[in-house]
Amino acid sequence: MSTTEMPSAPDFELERSAMRHLADAQMNVELDTGDMILNLGPQHPATHGTLRLVVRLDGERVIAADPVIGYMHRGYEKLTEFRTYPQITTLINRIDWLSSFANEVPFVHAAEQLMGIEAPARAQYIRTILTELSRIATFVLFLGEMGLQVGALTPAFYGFRDREHVLNLIEGATGGRFHPNFNRIGGLKDDLPWGWVSETRQVMQLVLDSCDQFEDLVVGNEIFLSRTRGIGIIPGDIGTAYGVSGSNLRASGVDWDLRRDGVPYLAYPDLDFKVWTHSAGDSFARYWVRLQETRESVRMVLQLLDGLPAGPVMAKVPRIIKVPEGEAWVETENPLGQMGYYVVSKGATGPFRVKIRSASFSNVSILPWLLRGVYVPDVVTILASLYFILGDIDR
Amino acid sequence: MGLIDKGRAPKPLTWLLNYSRKYSLWMFQWGLACCAIEMGAALASPRYDMMRLGVIPFPASPRQADLVVISGTVTDKMAPAIRRLYEQMPDPKYVISMGSCANCGGPYWDSYSVTKGVDQIIPVDIYVPGCPPRPEALLQAIVMLQAQIQNEGIGNDQLQKRWRGEPVVIDDPHTAPVVLGPKPEPTAVPVV
Amino acid sequence: MTEGDDAAEATEASPNPVHLDLLDRLERALPGAVVEHGTACGELVVRVTNASWGPLAEVARGDLECDYLSFVSAIDWAPTPRDGGEDAGGDTSAPVQPTDMTFGVAGSAGRFQVFARVQSTARGWGATFKVDVDEATPLVASWVGVYPGADWHERETWEMFGVRFDGHPNLRQLYLPAGFEGHPLRKDFPLLARVVKPWPGLVDVEAMPEEAAAVTAGGDGAGDGAGGGE
Repeated sequence: MSTTEMPSAPDFELERSAMRHLADAQMNVELDTGDMILNLGPQHPATHGTLRLVVRLDGERVIAADPVIGYMHRGYEKLTEFRTYPQITTLINRIDWLSSFANEVPFVHAAEQLMGIEAPARAQYIRTILTELSRIATFVLFLGEMGLQVGALTPAFYGFRDREHVLNLIEGATGGRFHPNFNRIGGLKDDLPWGWVSETRQVMQLVLDSCDQFEDLVVGNEIFLSRTRGIGIIPGDIGTAYGVSGSNLRASGVDWDLRRDGVPYLAYPDLDFKVWTHSAGDSFARYWVRLQETRESVRMVLQLLDGLPAGPVMAKVPRIIKVPEGEAWVETENPLGQMGYYVVSKGATGPFRVKIRSASFSNVSILPWLLRGVYVPDVVTILASLYFILGDIDR
Repeated sequence: MGLIDKGRAPKPLTWLLNYSRKYSLWMFQWGLACCAIEMGAALASPRYDMMRLGVIPFPASPRQADLVVISGTVTDKMAPAIRRLYEQMPDPKYVISMGSCANCGGPYWDSYSVTKGVDQIIPVDIYVPGCPPRPEALLQAIVMLQAQIQNEGIGNDQLQKRWRGEPVVIDDPHTAPVVLGPKPEPTAVPVV
Repeated sequence: MTEGDDAAEATEASPNPVHLDLLDRLERALPGAVVEHGTACGELVVRVTNASWGPLAEVARGDLECDYLSFVSAIDWAPTPRDGGEDAGGDTSAPVQPTDMTFGVAGSAGRFQVFARVQSTARGWGATFKVDVDEATPLVASWVGVYPGADWHERETWEMFGVRFDGHPNLRQLYLPAGFEGHPLRKDFPLLARVVKPWPGLVDVEAMPEEAAAVTAGGDGAGDGAGGGE
């Protein structure tokens, strides 16, 4: 990257507007090249899950795209009405399966708010550490997989390698590699094991090193740049209207992070961190923002480890958890974006209604707009750069 | 391969055939949910490295695959696609069901949209329990499947049946982790 | 009950200035639209009339500066039926909910209520809006024209609750396979698996080994006795 110039910027400037692509496509229609309907999925390597995308093509250009979702719809919102609160935390782990721990936090927080109890400071800190570790585990996988989608096989192996380090930490603390189910209403199941803190410091150093490695391997790669720069641009105002959130929205220049701007939760008010944004809004910007956020998460974990308070990890809660009547909305900044639970309780051992607002659902709902006018190979990179989890879309 | 269909292959030849087959399993990844990530970890992560077991996880299509791993929740909307995938695979074919959801519906046992086990639509050779199973568990399933393949057609009629695409019943509990379909009458079994 | 009331009283005692500002802007832009308002754990909840739901989207985006659409969904306030019922030997494992129809924050006129949440990325505030819809013909205006992201949310709401959105371009199945009957999130939609078989994880459904042995021994003893008599 240092010796070679950035791939000629003016060319990409010309390609900036998706509407221009559309105009081209319409011209081709006038030339009567004929449309073709291509069915991507429901099983497709670019989607670790089962998104089906019906795209109407004109030559190499997409003129209309219709995502067909629901292949992973498991009916969470109905199932929550038949479960008690402690049972639900087990279930909602599996919504966004890459960052399971982060899914539990807003729900448990909503129940705690309704019950009027607060987890002890140490529990809040450990929750924050584990949430940030989930974020790192999610993002390093993305940093690797995104390389895979543009044809580079090597970064994927690095991604899985680093994820393995972080998963070991999560397993060490919670006992679960994937679905920890470690949160309890009022605190945590257990304290951290002996030696965990120093091990975490070492792994954080490894993650920082591998972020540099990704930067060398992927961000500096000319092929990667030409496949992602100026591709799949989401303007900030369109993004917010579609409900796109998280890193995808910050890559479009919207400086909005619920850890800083939302209702204060966990230990984030005590932390000093930067919210990274990028003005371009293209696939490259989304990759770049996530890379920076991985580093920022490492810094946050190190700060939290330094400031970890002593004390209990569980508040006093009744043996049978009955949540008083009321409603609560709790939203958190999950790795994939805004995750929220609207919990309606009627004073029973289980909620009356839970609306689960998952990030990927809205992030993907922009696809029909976003894919209009792009080339077929770019569809895959755009899908990869939006970074969705099918369970998070379909719930 | 006519010899195999009719059950007339000599035993050493069968052994050799099985030996070659078990170490060149082309595996189609049907990743559906959480388990897909653990399957990916078993395949792509240097720590588990499934290819050392002779499993090649990148067939271009189900038509080139010997083995399919159904990993994750099977929904009623997905079920027809899985059925079609299975029918596309050429005939000595094996199925591993990975994770509680694919085994029996798992935590979604009462959901209105989840199929309660992939064995309702296709026959399964190995079930891997767990939610999700660790990558080691999937490796164990592969090893068990290889042991099963090695014994096919030696003193039994499993190989011919596999080649004809008929349901296979395995009597030996040590090499047979699972029984598929109803057990046929013993008289109907041609002895090799 | 107490929680909601306490929250409401607390708001009346020391109202959140942001909430007052938002309500004030709303009243100026859409006079008479607000039916009731309250707070749910510190979040503003506003109930509006059905007729003002359509214009509300533009007001929320313009006057309230809420550029971000979080979600659109619905609530069915009907009491939860016990599937099969205890007497019928049906499901007893699900949490028992109150059998009378009560409504949450800001109240409701009937069974179905559509609710949506909008937020401001620049100002950091947000509000939840609720609107009552008729039970027999659930219909409300669509927000797709203002918030394009409402498209999928409204399709989901239609599929799950059967609430129709006036002005939505293509209200069709989102999650479920074509031909699925019923609206799953309505309270009267039963989970058939639970009706057929109670939750297998229920504790104490199996007799303890001694009890089971006693039952079996007793049954066998009676059978033997009968056999001996013959």
